[in-house]
Order: sequence, then structure tokens, then C-alpha cells
Amino acid sequence: MRVDDRLIHGQVVIAWGARLAPERIWVVDDASAANAWERDLLASGAPGVEVRVVTVAEAAAGWAGETSAPGGAFLIVRDLRTAWALREAGAAFAVLNLGGLHYTPGRTKVNEYVYLDDDDRAIARRLIAAGVRLEVQDVPATRAVTLAELDPRVTAPA
Amino acid sequence: MSRVPALIVMHADLAAALLRAAATVYGPVDDVEVLSNEGLSRADLEHAIEERVDRWKNGGLVLTDFWGGSCHMCSAIAARGRGAVQVLTGLNLPTLIDFLHNRDVLDVDRLAERLLKKGQESIRLQRGQAA
Repeated sequence: MRVDDRLIHGQVVIAWGARLAPERIWVVDDASAANAWERDLLASGAPGVEVRVVTVAEAAAGWAGETSAPGGAFLIVRDLRTAWALREAGAAFAVLNLGGLHYTPGRTKVNEYVYLDDDDRAIARRLIAAGVRLEVQDVPATRAVTLAELDPRVTAPA
Repeated sequence: MSRVPALIVMHADLAAALLRAAATVYGPVDDVEVLSNEGLSRADLEHAIEERVDRWKNGGLVLTDFWGGSCHMCSAIAARGRGAVQVLTGLNLPTLIDFLHNRDVLDVDRLAERLLKKGQESIRLQRGQAA
């Protein structure tokens, strides 16, 4: 499961696609799920893989079925807030890959592709406290580093 | 027929390098802009593309690297509902040069169809090489 504001894009389709060969990609994004044209565009972006563009509620409802289904699945959310909403809705994930949270005003740099604001860090703390391992890694060929190692502000008291 | 403008959107420095390479065989090139996706979120890349496409009075071509990448996905979203704007993926040097040779004589749609065919024909295998 990955946090990436670009949703389906090259690193996901090419790098992670080649490494993990998922049978399904779930894009969990309420905005994209509400737009038929965007759903089709996202689905067309990963040829040969079944792409499901769903809301947080739909993903939570399908979670148990997916974790026991044959073949691997790759799940993408656009931000930490959505990851937390999914967790609260009942999706029990143990590891969360942070692959792309780009700069927007108010966010400070953690590394080249992860920028966080105070809200992001508060959610990161909640996820860590809930037992989720937050791993920063853009592509499989690079080493995964925990967010806490890269960003001391995540582990510091709020 | 007015000239068809183009925006090349690619990973890293590829768009600028491709345009520079085209200029070495074609000569100086104007009315072609380049954009890298580097460090940009989906929203920022979409805005950057929209901003450039909006300057075109009669549409134009957005030329990107590979299907399914952020350059393609954001171009598709940014070009939607903006008139005669076509998005092409898989741009290579021969196709870019073909675009430069034909952008003053074809309209956006015909040019896009031509480049689709030219691009597919441009990848060739040199057969008959001695072992």
C-alpha cells in the first residue's frame, strides 16, 4: 500500500509493477472515483492490470475480500489523510509506503519526494502509534527508510 | 493554415534534451515548449500544463514520453475540454522532427494522426548484420 499524490504513474506501473507483478491496482480516491472519465483514464494507465478506482468506503468494504484473494494487489492513496481514513474504516495494514508527497505551500522537505505539513506529521504519528510502519521509498531499487529516521519531527512530541 | 504549437512533457531532462537534439538536425526551433515532471505533484504538473495549453488560440499538441506515466496522465486531464488539444505518448526524435516538418501544413487532428503512424513506423530493426 502506497501514498503517492500522482496515483497511477510511471514508478507504479513500471518499477513496482515489474517487481510485484500485481494482478490488481486499487486507487482509493473519492474524487477520482466520482468521475467516470478519470476512472477510465486511471484504468487505461496500467495496461494488463485490473484497476479499481474506488472510494474510501468501498475500499474498506472490499478489504477483507482482497487480503484473502489470490494474486497480489497494489493499493494507492493520494495522501496520509486518506490512508488514515481507510485505517479508521477498518483496513488493517501494517506497512505503508510513502512514495510521493510533493511540495505544496506549508509543507517542509523530508527528502526529494516527501514533503509534510503539521497535519501530515500528526497523522503519521497516529499511524505509527497504531502500529503501522511508515517506509519512505520511491522505487524498489532504492532502500526503504522509515519516516521516523528521516524526519525527527514525526517522533517528537506534538 | 496556422502553425500548430506543441508542448513536450517528459521525465527528468528528456524534453529539453530531445528538443536540443532535434534542433541540431532541423535547425533553430520555436513555438515548442518543454516541461519536466520532476518534483511536481499531480496537481502542480496539471496546472503547469494547463497554463501553457491555455495560451494556444487554436489548440495544439502535447507530446509526452510513455503511456501511463504522470506526464501522460496529467496531460490528458489538463487537455480535456480545451478544444483542439491532442495528447500523444511515446514521442521520439524521428517523430519530433516529422512534427517540425509538418506543423505548418496540417491541422492539429491530422498532425496527431500522422505522428501516431510515423512514430510507430520509426522504430526499426537493422536486419542482415553480419554475426
